Amino acid sequence: MRPTLALIKREFTAYFFSPIGFVTLAVFLLVTGRLFGVTMNLLTEPGPRGTEFPMQSLLGDEKFWLVFLFIPPLLTMRLLAEERGSGTLESLMTAPIRDWQVVAGKYIACLMFYVVLWLPTLAYLPVLLDMDPQTWQPRIDCWPVLTSYLGAFLAGAMFLAIGLFVSSLVKSQLVAAMIAMLLSLVFVVAAFWRPDYDTGSLTTKLVTFISVPEHFRRDFTRGILDTRHIVLYATITLLCLFLTVRSLEARRLR
Amino acid sequence: MIVVENLYKYYGEYPAVRGVSFEVPKGRVVGFLGPNGAGKSTTMRILAGYLTATSGKASIDGRDVFWDPIEARRRIGYMPESCPLYTDMKVTEYLKFRAGLKGLGWGTRRKRVEYVLERCWLKDVRKQIVGTLSKGYRQRVGLADSLLADPPVLILDEPTAGLDPTQIRETRKLIRELGQQHTMLLSTHILSEVEAACDSVIIIYQGQVAAEGSLAAVRDRYGNQNLEDIFVRLTGQEGVYSASASPGDQPGLYIGR
Repeated sequence: MRPTLALIKREFTAYFFSPIGFVTLAVFLLVTGRLFGVTMNLLTEPGPRGTEFPMQSLLGDEKFWLVFLFIPPLLTMRLLAEERGSGTLESLMTAPIRDWQVVAGKYIACLMFYVVLWLPTLAYLPVLLDMDPQTWQPRIDCWPVLTSYLGAFLAGAMFLAIGLFVSSLVKSQLVAAMIAMLLSLVFVVAAFWRPDYDTGSLTTKLVTFISVPEHFRRDFTRGILDTRHIVLYATITLLCLFLTVRSLEARRLR
Repeated sequence: MIVVENLYKYYGEYPAVRGVSFEVPKGRVVGFLGPNGAGKSTTMRILAGYLTATSGKASIDGRDVFWDPIEARRRIGYMPESCPLYTDMKVTEYLKFRAGLKGLGWGTRRKRVEYVLERCWLKDVRKQIVGTLSKGYRQRVGLADSLLADPPVLILDEPTAGLDPTQIRETRKLIRELGQQHTMLLSTHILSEVEAACDSVIIIYQGQVAAEGSLAAVRDRYGNQNLEDIFVRLTGQEGVYSASASPGDQPGLYIGR
């Protein structure tokens, strides 16, 4: 336990030593802030235009996911690739720490920083929930917000696990980030051809099954928890973490 | 303390270590010599648990490095070649992190970090960022790291590579002092260092042990030459390995005659 905690602490604080953490945070907040402004406009629109689900215009938006695509790979790219590149992996792997503890420590650290990314967005909630200024009670249904945050956490966990696995395979951070983006693209880009599909076809079913933006647009941001999405995210997360442990083990056998 | 039996390591088709066996008794300081590419680093990495041997056995204090890796690693302070460190941390920060990684509790962590800072003359750079340190200081940080958990065995891969003469002298002095408390296996290219600091030597060439024994015994076997001549004789000639292929002949013994 102690080695894992020490590793989590070191990896988490390392995000604040390098500019990459702050740059990611700034970009993320710029985009969510801009989308919050758009949502605000829709909410205060006087005419027939407006929005039924404010979270949908925030997280169900393609622009958000195109930017989001870059964020997990930027957080995970250095985790193992940097250690391999600079040779510090040797001192890490010869310490009395098990391979799965190394993976767990690094993964938990990047997951924690990912949560930190989302924390400032809690400031939008009083408006999105139309909270009563006196009693702090939300005046509209709060479930879409809760499910959206849960969805964002689980989907992020999946993208981070993919990034960590890729990072364990290569020596260069840049290559790690690019391959991780490519793999994440599979889960993001399918949704962008949405209008071209016949809604009853197998392709549509497949696309809606793996496309994370679609999950958000149709389910999470409307307060629906679909177990299929959660199972998909959880299995891919576990698979990637398992593969990362194996890839570290395989390194010893070279 | 360190027992290696018939160790083999193949990198793909290439055999880096072929049938190395030796033993380092408790309290001994052993110099591990050999030309570049002879298999020194590979052997040390197997002992430290970074690589897995293709076949053969290695154990530290009775703990097999393959079957009981965590317990074996707990008993080793290992300093890798060229001493990689996290360059973005401060010296004390780095050492505290390493102490945590080695499972030391909060109280002992602070005590041990203070002790190794003192021991490796790092007190005046304790607040400095590792990336800004000179090569000599970095090497000392690596050495301090290997001492953190107070392991009975130290495995140091070229601890004096790339240092200037003053730093080499200081490091050598430190190694000699540490040799009184720890069993030590240290690889180096500086032969005078071995003569100054080690009790015995293991010379390895093309993945096999070419000579092994106490300094005096090895010298005696080769007609009282100095270590450098013996080293060159054992490892400088192309014929050595092919000669050893004849059955029953140890390469070192063959050349000695």
